[in-house]
Amino acid sequence: MILTLILLIGIAEPPHGTPLQGGELERRTQAIASEIRCPVCQGLSIADSPSEMAVNMKAEVRDLVARGYTQEQIDRHFERSYGQFVLLRPKFRGVNTLVWILPIAALAAGAFLVLLTLRKLTKGALS
Amino acid sequence: MNRTVLIIGTIVTAALVGVLFLGLGHDPSHIDSPLVGNPAPSFALKVAGSNETIALTKFRGKPMVVNFWATWCRPCWEEHPTLTAAAGELGDRVQFLGVVFQDDEAKILDFMRQRGAAYPTVIDERGKTAIAYGVGGVPETFFIDANGIVVAKYDGPLSPEQLQSYLAKVLTP
Repeated sequence: MILTLILLIGIAEPPHGTPLQGGELERRTQAIASEIRCPVCQGLSIADSPSEMAVNMKAEVRDLVARGYTQEQIDRHFERSYGQFVLLRPKFRGVNTLVWILPIAALAAGAFLVLLTLRKLTKGALS
Repeated sequence: MNRTVLIIGTIVTAALVGVLFLGLGHDPSHIDSPLVGNPAPSFALKVAGSNETIALTKFRGKPMVVNFWATWCRPCWEEHPTLTAAAGELGDRVQFLGVVFQDDEAKILDFMRQRGAAYPTVIDERGKTAIAYGVGGVPETFFIDANGIVVAKYDGPLSPEQLQSYLAKVLTP
């Protein structure tokens, strides 16, 4: 006889969304899973990885979505175990703010340099 | 103009060197566990080779070493004698528990018959416990104090010296 596996693990808070099923459940699961990092892979999401770990994590996402948990709650659930590492899109907070701000700052600095160079070239040509 | 370019260039280069320095000095396979300092996630799992189920709560009040492992993991083979020897020496002072990850029960029992077993081993059939503990590979070991708080996590096979040093953290009153 197959023994029942009893699991006590879960999210303590109640779901903030609506329980889903069918096609909508699959679409939502895929969307959320595509933003969660597979911890045993190189830069793959749990939606893209065929590893057993990713399959188990995706099954957990599906279960939570079916019960009405929101993406924010599901992200927090995985963050509690893996930290922010598990999120493929870093949240706009703390040190992560730099990840969002630095590319924009670098682009602005580049544009500024180009502008300065162009102005100098124009001045040189006119004189 | 040249001064401005020099200043901006220096800032950008310094930022890039800083990022590279941080990146190169960090082991990408190591994940800092947010569980350290927090209560260990509860679980109740089936014991390998038995119909019994063991819940983590059963061991509250006693320091614990929870080792995630698998029979297909070579470093786990190397680590096994270290853990069994320490479990034998420490007896009731520390509860060791093996949690097998992505494996087959027959292979687990075969492994334990051949290599010995000094403490219970439970089977994490659907990987939910591994996910709750943020396991990214095996072996990974969690040290839990008598109050059920995760004191430390170690990735990779533990040497006897490393195990002693982590045990000191959970045995400290």
